[in-house]
Amino acid sequence: MADITLRVNGATREGSPEARKTLADFLREDLDLTGTHLGCEHGVCGACTVIVDGRAVRSCLMLAVQAAGSEVTTIEGLATDGGLGPLQQAMWDSHSFQCGFCTPGFVMQATAFLSDHPDAGEQQIREALSGNICRCTGYQSIIDGVLLAAERNRER
Amino acid sequence: MAEIVAERYTGASIKRSEDPRILTGAGRYVDDIKLPGMLHAAFVRSPLAHGRVLSVDVSAAQALPGVVAVLTGADLEAMTVPGPDPLMALFGAAGPTPEFTLLATDKVRLMGDPVAVVIAESRYLAEDGCELVEVDYDDLPPVVNAAFALDPSSPPLFANLGDNIARPHSRNEFGDVAGTFAHADRVIDFHLDVHRHQNVPMEGRGCVASWDAGLAAMTVYAATQSVHVTRNGVATRLGIEPDQVRVLAGDIGGSFGLKIGASREELAVAAASRHLGRPVKWVEDRGENLMVSGQAREESFDVRAAVSNDGDLLGLDVQVIIDTGAYPGMGMGAMVPDIIQAMLPGPYKLAALGFESTAVITNKATYVAYRGPWASETFVRERVLDLIAKDLGLDPVEIRLRNIAARTDPPASMITGRPLVGVTTIEALERVAQLVDFPAFRRRQAQARAQGRYLGIGVATFIEAAPGPRGPDGGLGSESMRLQLTEEGIVVLFTGQMPHGQSHQTTLAQIAADEFGVPFEQVRVVVGDSDVVPFGLTGGSRSATMTGGVALHGARDLKAKVLDFAAYLMEARAQDLLITDGNVWVRGDPASAIAVSEIGRRAASGQFGTDVDAALEVQATFDGGQGGWSGGTHCAIVEVDAETGLVKVERYVAVEDCGALINPAVVEGQIRGGVAQGIGAVLLERSAYGEDGSFQSATFMDYLMPTTCDIPRIEIEHLETVPLDADVNFRGVGEGGMIVAPPTVVNAIEDALSPFGVRIYEQHLPPARILELIAAADSGQ
Repeated sequence: MADITLRVNGATREGSPEARKTLADFLREDLDLTGTHLGCEHGVCGACTVIVDGRAVRSCLMLAVQAAGSEVTTIEGLATDGGLGPLQQAMWDSHSFQCGFCTPGFVMQATAFLSDHPDAGEQQIREALSGNICRCTGYQSIIDGVLLAAERNRER
Repeated sequence: MAEIVAERYTGASIKRSEDPRILTGAGRYVDDIKLPGMLHAAFVRSPLAHGRVLSVDVSAAQALPGVVAVLTGADLEAMTVPGPDPLMALFGAAGPTPEFTLLATDKVRLMGDPVAVVIAESRYLAEDGCELVEVDYDDLPPVVNAAFALDPSSPPLFANLGDNIARPHSRNEFGDVAGTFAHADRVIDFHLDVHRHQNVPMEGRGCVASWDAGLAAMTVYAATQSVHVTRNGVATRLGIEPDQVRVLAGDIGGSFGLKIGASREELAVAAASRHLGRPVKWVEDRGENLMVSGQAREESFDVRAAVSNDGDLLGLDVQVIIDTGAYPGMGMGAMVPDIIQAMLPGPYKLAALGFESTAVITNKATYVAYRGPWASETFVRERVLDLIAKDLGLDPVEIRLRNIAARTDPPASMITGRPLVGVTTIEALERVAQLVDFPAFRRRQAQARAQGRYLGIGVATFIEAAPGPRGPDGGLGSESMRLQLTEEGIVVLFTGQMPHGQSHQTTLAQIAADEFGVPFEQVRVVVGDSDVVPFGLTGGSRSATMTGGVALHGARDLKAKVLDFAAYLMEARAQDLLITDGNVWVRGDPASAIAVSEIGRRAASGQFGTDVDAALEVQATFDGGQGGWSGGTHCAIVEVDAETGLVKVERYVAVEDCGALINPAVVEGQIRGGVAQGIGAVLLERSAYGEDGSFQSATFMDYLMPTTCDIPRIEIEHLETVPLDADVNFRGVGEGGMIVAPPTVVNAIEDALSPFGVRIYEQHLPPARILELIAAADSGQ
């Protein structure tokens, strides 16, 4: 057990995870943030993606203790007023998802990518999301959602 | 004259009511359940494909702090009732029934077979405990393929069967098979293989079981396509009554046919919870999911085709051997041949069919339903047509148009029986040919070839019984729904459908809102509670017609009942009342409007005598009406890199007819998702086994699935359908993409490789295999 302090979705959180506990399990079990999903636990599918200090990270491949002192954003932290953030809204408008299990990972990966590449086009977005697996949609609706969010952001 | 009420929701791409929760992390999947005192399960699994269990020593595991119990196969045998799988009992599967225990006792029959379960305070500790369980095995020769399974000397997996045959050989004939073949201009024969691949939902299987000793009641939080089938399975194997079991399901992270009934692991977890008196959670990891949850589609076909010199496909004679893996009673492998047989003619004028089938048992994962489980009928037929076309120098569109049955009145029937009523395959094929412009493509293809680039085009057609036409003998089953108007004015639909991505909470609300006359937001669709919803199962592309239909008729019935009650309140005649936009009003008198919430509140007040029916609730059933076929034609344009073997899908066009669209965005999502799985099946995915039966694709680095860069934009057009029913012309669309995409892509690849003379008789074409095919053709093999 190690005592850690970190910021999660803007709030200071403390915990005492076992050294071997992944960040994903810590978020889900210790902090009850079950929006972060585990799809493979070996870093391939991207469902567990969260943002740590501004970068998209697979929380199944990171230990909770490694996140000590970091700023972590999960899917629960994107909407500020209990509604939807701009990317989430664009994905709703685009019918982006079906079963929803891969959704948090795609949303977090795209959030991190768009903040660095607000002018990205379709091919760049496809490449940026190529490390996330969705089994339901064939991806087109997800790409469309990200494109719509980027377009709205530019018009703003 | 009936009043025409504009449909505001049905037919529009209404945004999904599921999305706000899933987009904010507020979905509730089974792994999100946390109960007080909950324990965690992990399974000890066999490292061998086939072996005898000599001993299981759990003492070290049991001594580990945090481990609460270690239960072996023998322990669980003592806690549960033996018997057939309840899912198979439901579908009435025929054939011999293998006898086995929930967890292995005497034998292990595949790599990953569960031998013991460790229950601990955390999943981490449960897995630690698994490491400490000592199991001694004696190797048995693995039965790794159908050829060995058919060999009488192969060791039977199940002692009570005596051999490895899940379904004995049978032959059926439709039409004059011998005569057709005797008089055909030419008979061609070949062997086709469909490889083993699998569902792989992003969320694996899992459950939380919680036994209440005081009430003698079990609550199971499940990820399932049917809460009732799961309930019945748990009750049967635990030896309790179904009404002692409540199954609850929330959001489900995909399934594609995998999560039906109650798996051996889920039953073991339920038994463990009852034994310990505490809630127990098990959520499989990806390795377990890939290795043991279930796999599909391992079939091989010997095909003979009787053909005229003009390109008429006169007859087929097909022998299929299906590899159902281990524990066939837990899957559907032995049922698949009947559906393949029935569907093999497709929309074509095929006049004679001989069909032989055998299902075998092997030391591999159980064959389960996977999106269009019978899809190989379309693969075989659409491959046969292309191979014949090549032999005769015909165009792939031309040979299909020549052979597809015209839509006549009365309709032609498939030689296997069902009428081809309302089938629009010809229109779909013609439209596809227009959209892709075959002559222009052939010119581009020729130019590319001159530059050493290999482009190819492929088409394939399918029909799907979703739900199928109402035939002379053909009942379509029935679907039930309970509907009520609450005192808040909400129209509540209780359905046995268990959506896992299909958007039923949106689509059923669209239909009911239009039919009843309330805003979309005023309809709530309740799913996932076996104590509350009627029996149902989401599968087989049935819900659009069956559940869409019962929502429509149920909302109509509820409306009639509400209007009868409103007529009493408003001192009007029911036939003079309307409901629009959530208000009841007297025709011609808008000032008379009363909100349906007010009607609901008055009904709930209990102020009425027995002469007034104030129970604003109905129970509806729907028999499928006239039913109908779904279907379509798909076309792929691919480029094959002859140096690397990589295939790029450059363009993909789907022209589909799934009847009247409830929500076009939802329909198109189903089509694209199915096509993506079909492209993955051909180019990437394979459930791989070694010669010793070891499973070799247990991670996402070995079992490859398509990503954003592998799937092109998929162009979709919907055909205007032939209406068959007065009210309900929605048809299912969940499986078609996965059924028809594999032959579409394979046909395109063969076309691309035609300069090499390559002919393709298999479905899995990763780069290495493409290079082998080119090399073999080059060397004249």
